[in-house]
Amino acid sequence: MLSPKRVKYRKQQKGKIKGKAGRGNRISFGDYGLQTLEPGWITNRQIEAARVAMTRHIKRGGKVWIRIFPDKPITSKPAETRMGKGKGNPEGWVAVVKPGRVMFELEGVEESIARRAMELAAAKLPVKTRFLIRED
Amino acid sequence: MTNQASLKVQSRDGRGKGAARQLRRAGAIPGNVYGREVEPVAVAADQLEFAALVSAISVENTIVELSVDDGAPRRVLIREIQRHPVRSEYLHVDFFEIRAGEKLNVNVPLHLVGTPIGVRNGGVLQQVRHEIEIECLPSEIPPSFEVDISGLEIGDSLHIGDIDLGGVELLDEAERTICLVAAPRVVEVEEEEDLEGLLEEEEAEPEVITARGDDEEEEGED
Repeated sequence: MLSPKRVKYRKQQKGKIKGKAGRGNRISFGDYGLQTLEPGWITNRQIEAARVAMTRHIKRGGKVWIRIFPDKPITSKPAETRMGKGKGNPEGWVAVVKPGRVMFELEGVEESIARRAMELAAAKLPVKTRFLIRED
Repeated sequence: MTNQASLKVQSRDGRGKGAARQLRRAGAIPGNVYGREVEPVAVAADQLEFAALVSAISVENTIVELSVDDGAPRRVLIREIQRHPVRSEYLHVDFFEIRAGEKLNVNVPLHLVGTPIGVRNGGVLQQVRHEIEIECLPSEIPPSFEVDISGLEIGDSLHIGDIDLGGVELLDEAERTICLVAAPRVVEVEEEEDLEGLLEEEEAEPEVITARGDDEEEEGED
């Protein structure tokens, strides 16, 4: 699963997601894309599940690009612990996405297959999405 | 796709984001016309007309006859379009006025023609570049480059240097890859079976770059 190899600090504050995706909001590599319409946190497990759903559907053909990376550590406190005593332990990684961000791209398959593959991937994600086709 | 088109725009007085937002609310797109030794003009184009134009032409290499306030048409290229990240709206457009007899840099789209032999044998076609940059006179701008890829087998690739540019000067490097036919991916059976295990597996924590060393602790004590 995707996670950073080295980090400067083990824990981060939650932060707020403001605005739209100023970058990474167009198809750059493939012919089809999956764009988020909502802000959100995508965990590395969700990214992996979406990728597997997509690659299973397209079987042998095609190439997949993952254009988000989970570089934000998420902490949580153990169950039945009293509040206080400092911040919890790092438990996972998320990618922060803003509306407009193209998260996945596909190439080398027919449109109908790409559309269904993206639909299956979108079902694994916690945000509303839209299917995109390269404009030429 | 034609290589000539026309558009009517109006000059505008307001400057800055307030005026630009007002224009967008009124269904127009703020823009600018500029060029070498030409006084820049701030203009406003109709959102619907502009969207129709963009969908009908190849944007980067089509000369547009632009008439500002119903004046004499000016020959321009659309240099930059700013779009809304989510909605299908145009936010701003730059028109670059060209002069006959003066060479200019344009991006021309590449169209792949035919089905490669490698794809029929199970390979995957990957198009790396969708356009190339050339330098030519405005009258010589090609609408597109058609590239025949039917002869490519698995493992073959096509480079910019391999295509016939018809005499125009190439600005991109000739060694750049246009497309390649990759071998089919081996079905990852193992990976699929291990998916659930993978999702449950505990992750090792990454190395922390700023972990406090002995030196820092000593400094703190001082």
